[in-house]
Formats: sequence, C-alpha cells, structure tokens
Amino acid sequence: MFCYQCEQTFRSDNKAGCAGAKGMCGKDAATADLQDVLLHVCEGIGQYLHRARRLGATDAEADRFLLFAFFTTLTNVNFSAAKFVEFIQRAAQLRDGAKALYEKAAREAGETPETLSGAAAFVPAKDMAGLLAQAGEAAIRKDVARLGEDVVGLRALVLYGLKGVCAYAHHACVLGEERDAIYAAVEHALDLLASEPEDIGPLLDEALALGRANFLAMEALDAANTGNFGTPEPTSVRVTPIKGKAILVSGHDLKDLHAILEATKDKGINVYTHGELLPAHSYPALRSYPHLAGNYGGAWQDQQKEFAEFPGPIVMTSNCLIEPQPRYRARIFTAGPVGWPGVRHIANEDFTQVVQAALALPGFAEDAEEQRITVGFGRAAVLGVADKVIDAVKSGAIRHFFMIGGCDGAAPGRNYYADFAHATPDDTVILTLGCGKYRFNKHDFGTVGGLPRLLDMGQCNDAYSALVVATKLAEAFGVGVNELPLSLIVSWFEQKAAAVLLTLLALGVRNVRLGPTLPAFLTPALVDVLVEKFGVLPIGDARADIDAALSRAA
Amino acid sequence: MFKVELLTRDGAAIAFDAEPSENLLAAAERANIYLPSSCREGACGACRVTHASGDIELDAYSSAALSDAERAAGGILLCRAHAHGDVALHAPFDAASIGFAPTPQRRATIVDIGPAGARAMRIVLQYEEDPEFGRAAQFVAGQFGELEIPESGIRRSYSLANAPNWDGKLEFLIRLQPGGAFSTYLRERASIGDALIVHGPKGQFTLDEASLAPRWFVAGGTGLAPALSMLRHMAELADPCPARLFFGVNRVDELFALDALEEIRAALPQLAVTICVWAPETPPETRWRGFAGTPAEALAQSLANASERPDIYVCGPPALITAVETVALAGGAGATYAERFSAA
Repeated sequence: MFCYQCEQTFRSDNKAGCAGAKGMCGKDAATADLQDVLLHVCEGIGQYLHRARRLGATDAEADRFLLFAFFTTLTNVNFSAAKFVEFIQRAAQLRDGAKALYEKAAREAGETPETLSGAAAFVPAKDMAGLLAQAGEAAIRKDVARLGEDVVGLRALVLYGLKGVCAYAHHACVLGEERDAIYAAVEHALDLLASEPEDIGPLLDEALALGRANFLAMEALDAANTGNFGTPEPTSVRVTPIKGKAILVSGHDLKDLHAILEATKDKGINVYTHGELLPAHSYPALRSYPHLAGNYGGAWQDQQKEFAEFPGPIVMTSNCLIEPQPRYRARIFTAGPVGWPGVRHIANEDFTQVVQAALALPGFAEDAEEQRITVGFGRAAVLGVADKVIDAVKSGAIRHFFMIGGCDGAAPGRNYYADFAHATPDDTVILTLGCGKYRFNKHDFGTVGGLPRLLDMGQCNDAYSALVVATKLAEAFGVGVNELPLSLIVSWFEQKAAAVLLTLLALGVRNVRLGPTLPAFLTPALVDVLVEKFGVLPIGDARADIDAALSRAA
Repeated sequence: MFKVELLTRDGAAIAFDAEPSENLLAAAERANIYLPSSCREGACGACRVTHASGDIELDAYSSAALSDAERAAGGILLCRAHAHGDVALHAPFDAASIGFAPTPQRRATIVDIGPAGARAMRIVLQYEEDPEFGRAAQFVAGQFGELEIPESGIRRSYSLANAPNWDGKLEFLIRLQPGGAFSTYLRERASIGDALIVHGPKGQFTLDEASLAPRWFVAGGTGLAPALSMLRHMAELADPCPARLFFGVNRVDELFALDALEEIRAALPQLAVTICVWAPETPPETRWRGFAGTPAEALAQSLANASERPDIYVCGPPALITAVETVALAGGAGATYAERFSAA
C-alpha cells in the first residue's frame, strides 16, 4: 500500500504517505492496492475510448462506469475490498468492450487499429490474491526511482484531480446531466496516464485541462441540482432535533435525499440532513417536504460521536464515511459509491429497509430548544442582489469579500479557518461553501450593506456557484476576477478539492491561500511552480493573512 | 488506586484506574468502559486478556476459562483480576468491541418455542417497544444475549441465531442441560407469551470484516447459533467471501436447523456445508450417509486440501474448541476465533 491522496496522509520529518497496514482514513492495505488495480484497468478503458471517440464512436456505459469507479476510490468513500474485486472484473469486461468498439471504428474508418500495450493489455487476475499480487504494476510511485519525485508528484496531481472531476461528474450524471466534453477529458487524461508520461510539461498542461473539465463538471452538477430541485433560496434551517422518529442523511447526494423524502412521506418520520447535505434545505423541491425537519450535527469528522447519539437510521450517500462504530453499525446504511465491509448497502435507491429501521428505532424523545441558521445564498440569491452588492462596494460599506471554503477535517491547524472568519472586519463579507463552515456557521456575524455578513453558498459541490458570482461581479465592475476585492481561503481534504484548485488555476485565479497543509504529493519544486505561476500561498497566521489580503486589495 | 492500560488488538490504548479491592472488569465499568465479558465468575473466559506488566492477583477461576498453559503465557481473566500496582494489558479484541455505555436491558416476549432436535430447543423472542431502544433488534451477528427469567434470579448467556433486524426478533438455540435451571424452565414451563429480560447484546465473537481470508465455521450442537447468525448476515449482504460450515452433533436425532441451512445456501451459493454425526445410529432407515465423525475431524481433512488459509470461527463445548484449535494450528489455518460454551 502507498497512498498520499488526501490531506490527512501520514507525515513524518522525511516522508509523507500512508504505507502501513492501514491508511489514516482507515482504509486497509488490500483495499488500497485493489483500488490502484481498478484505476489501472480504467486507464486501459480510457486508452481505447479516447481513440474510439476520435473516430466518432462512444460507449456511454463505460464512461459512466469510469466516473463511478473513480468516485469509489476517493478518500472516505468505499472501504470494501470484496467490492473492488467485483469492480475490477466489471472494468475488465468494459475494457474489452471498449477495445472492440475502437477496433471496429478504426476498421470502418479504413485504419489499422493500434495494438495497445500497458494498461490496455493488462489482464487482471480472477481472485483477490492474484489481484493483490499485481498491485505493484499499478502503484502510483512505481517509477519514482527512475523518474524522481517531481514527475510522480505531477502524475499524482493529475490522477487525484481526475478523481475529483469524476466525482462531480458522477453526481451530475445520476441526476441526468452528462457532457460529452467531460467524458472526452476523462478519457484523454486516462490515456495520458496510461502512457506513463515522463515530462513535466504535458502533465502540467493536463492538470490545467482537467481544471477546465472540472468547471464543466461543476456546471453540469449545478444544472442537475437546480434543474431537478429548483434554484436555492435563502432558507432558515432548524439545527436542533424535534421529538419523533428520525432518519439522518449524510454525504452529498441530493437524489438519494429526495428518494428518502419520498419513501418517508406521510409516515411520521422526520428526515435530518448531516454534513454536506445542509444546503439541501434551500432547494424548493426538497424544502417542500414538511418532514425535512432540519440539520443535525457538524462536519464529517465528528460523525462517530454524532451518529452514535442519533436515535434512528443513518444513510451515507456519496462520500465522507469513516469507520462505523458498534453503537450504530447495525443502523447505518451506505448508498451509491460508498461502502464498508459488513454494512448494509442500498444499491437501487430502494430505501424501504431504512424506513423500517426508522420506525423500529426510538427517534428523539423530546424537542430540543429551537436554533436556526440560514443557508441558500447560491449564485442566484447573491446575484439577485448584485446591485445592492455593487453599491455597497462602491460606497465603501463593503470593503472586501473573503471566500472561506472547502473541507473540514480533524487536524488542529483547521482552527485557522474559524479564527480567520471571526477576525474578518465588520465591513467585509464572508462567502462560504463546503463543510469547513461548520467551524463558524452558527456564529452571528451580523450584517453589512443590508446583507448578512456570512453567506452560505452551499456544498463543496457548489464551487461553481462561487465562481459564477466572482465572474459576474468582475464583469459588473469591469475588472478581472483577480482585481476584485476578493480573497480565496481554501481548506482542502480530498480529491474534489484538488479538482477545484485545478479549476481555479485553469481560470487564472491567483493568490489562493491553501491549507491546512499543502498536498504531500506536491514536491517543493512543484509548489514553487504553483507559487510562481499562480500565486498559490500556504495559510499562515489568520490575522496577518487578513491584513495581507486587505493591503493587497487596497 | 492504580493505573490500568489496555492495548487493543488494533492498537487503541484504553486507560482506567483500579482499586485493589475491585476486579478489573468492575473498575473499567466504574469509568464507563464496558469490556467484553459474560459470566463474570471466572467460568467462561470471555474476558480473557494478556498481562504484559505490573502486579496482578487472581481470584479462583475455572480451568475451562483459563487453562494452565494460557495462564503461563500471561493470560488473565478481567473478572478475577485485581491490580496491586500499575498494570499493562494486551487485549485479543479490537477497540470496536468495547462499549462506553451500560449494556441494554430490555423486556421481550416468547413468540415461538419448540424442539431443535432431541437435545435442544429453539425459542424466538420479540422485543417489547422501549422508549430508549425502540423495538429494533440491533446487534452484531455472532453476539450473545443473557436471558433472565423475571423475578427468579436465573440468568444465562445464549448466542443469537438470527441476523440483526427491525422486527425486534431474537432467535436462540439452547441446549437442554439435565437439571439446568434455565433448561428446566424451558422444558417444563416456558410458553408463548412469557416475558423474559434480555441483557445484551454482548460478546466479540463476530466476523472479522477486515480479513480477506475465507470464513470457515465450526459448530458443535447449539454452537451452530452464532454461525447461523453470521451466515444469515452474510446472505443478507450478498457477501462474496468464500464460506464453509462444519456442523456436528453426536447422534442423527440431535440434528436441527437443516431447513435454515438450506435457506442460507440458497442465498449464499458459495457456502459449502458439511454435516457431521459422531455416533451414527443403527436403524437402517435412518442410517447416516454423511460425514461420520466430529467437525474437528472434518475440518482437518478439508484443511489438508485447502488452497487458501481460512479464518476459523468455532463455537461449541470446550473439548471441541480445543480440538479445533489444535487442528487449525497443525493445518495452517489463518486466525481462529472461538466462543466456548459453559454448561448452565
């Protein structure tokens, strides 16, 4: 096992990466190795589909599988080694299909099909033991002795950025929004990785290409969410429990949440959101269910305590799962790409058993004191008051915008983001998205220029909304995004954040502050490139960073 | 007051204080740490850990729960051990087996009862609705519960045979012990509608979900119960892990749960079942045509031909456990997980 894809990866003075029997995320070595093998087979699919697409032939089923397969390998998504054996066998079937598709298209075009090697020719073993023996061929660092850390680190950046793109695109896909350009970009990236590139230049270009593809993926997801559930509106959400039967839905998947709301309609069960599903309350079609009762708990890393105390079943959609503890292991369900050995999985959006569990479990014995927060300041809400915003900026009422967004995590350094938010001056606005906001979103920041000082724009999946707002404001002021009185303070944890960072870089956004640590797969030389070309900065002292942002803007 | 440090199998460190006058199980519970245990009288071995350092004194215990060899290797029973200095212990279970709240105590009603072969009974309980727990039967497949006959002082541990469920059903397979207090109740008085008190779930005899090895279950008599629970759970989850079951009884007329095994096999096609009868009976019309011998003997034969090292899950009387552990060691099995019966 070797993995350094997320922020929590093991670090010591002279090395970084999880390489023992179990990663910091709780993933065991076998599962990590099988994930490497799965991605290697997927590279083979990409090699064939990339060439087939050039000849006008596509395979929607294989493309969708690529999104799903990559999503399963994100941090805190799927921990089931047995499932990965199944996924690998399925990938091999699809790879054979992609090969046939390409060869047929080539012959029809009068070309002689290429004989591909590497991942395209890789034959996965039939059983787990055989697959584990093959894992070395697929390991991210297999060429490090020959090529050095910089090339391998940049390959990792591309691979992990690709995972983020696939996760966003999968979310959009399940809601009916697909983009050929995204599939083309995924296939291109896989083909490049399969070629085992050895030069920095093409890899850096690919990273930025993935950033652009990710913008498309986020746009597709935004269209999927708003198209299915309406445009988010500022909404007051109860964050304390109500007496009665209860289901908790965590993760990011609005479609699963909708299915659960439908399954529980008129059954006397209250549905609570957890973690990144908090913004669901702002979508009209979801808010219309009166039993979408509120939000419970905080960010993902607190789930073991919060789930143990929740008196009903819990459904983990998409990502953010950590090891289920005995106190709630029998009443937690996974869905979609998520999995844990021995935990019940909902594979077909049939949540009947979850409803049975909710009715069989006690629910909340009494009402807690009512507390509420406001969410739903997506692009439509903010741009709906654009005139007010522009006037407030021009009059000096609003001096600056701080976009404090991204993931939360358990690392102590993440206090920075709460410290930063609390230290922002009263004449500034805080835009936020992602689960990092749980560190400060129940604080009353007051108002400025007739607007709440804290505007919650949604999930980490809603980064598109923030980019649209920035772009539109820049247009309104007649400047570029980098000239706006706007600073981006990004906390990252996993691979969707890596993809968002690539998008920011691809769009030319400079001076992003990134923390709580820089990715372990970025070598000092690669960090220098990011600093030099894009002005990326590590987070430092919150007050000093605020002063620096304000002085740069002044 | 001395400091006790317990290191779990998966590397978690648990610490609590203990007075010399209290056993270590009770000391942990005073700190709201509920360690795996069952009889609390030194008879079952459920609370056995390894003593790494420090001064420990043991009360009297049964050699079935802690053999001389195990004691010589540092084994102690938490329910019998007293600290006379700071102590370090190593646990054979993961941190996930440790509870941090008291074991639930709930009322249930007998909804089905009947014989299970010639020497055992099957009872099914239905949890009553409870304000704290609802009606759900939440446990980890393989765990046990302690059944108490209200106002009698009679309380015995039995493994659950079904999988966790939302109907609140608990199934037990209970060997009838001649003269046993709970056995006498079952044989002479128990009937549908009776109320019982269930203390549980308890125990760490559960699937090692992290292991990639095939799972081989060895069951002697009603030791089949936890194997049924785990296999039913695997069937519900469509778990693809290779699985075998060696189920043994002494005589043909003691066989039971064969229909349940067929149902599981239908849902878990990779499961291979070997039924073992140690002393096949003579009447020609009931002559046993399956494996004649103990499940430990059947296990030994299969291990000799195994291509992978399986994990062994064994439950039954102490003699079977010992035999299986010997066979597993000689035959090159992976991990061996055991749940011993104690007569009651």
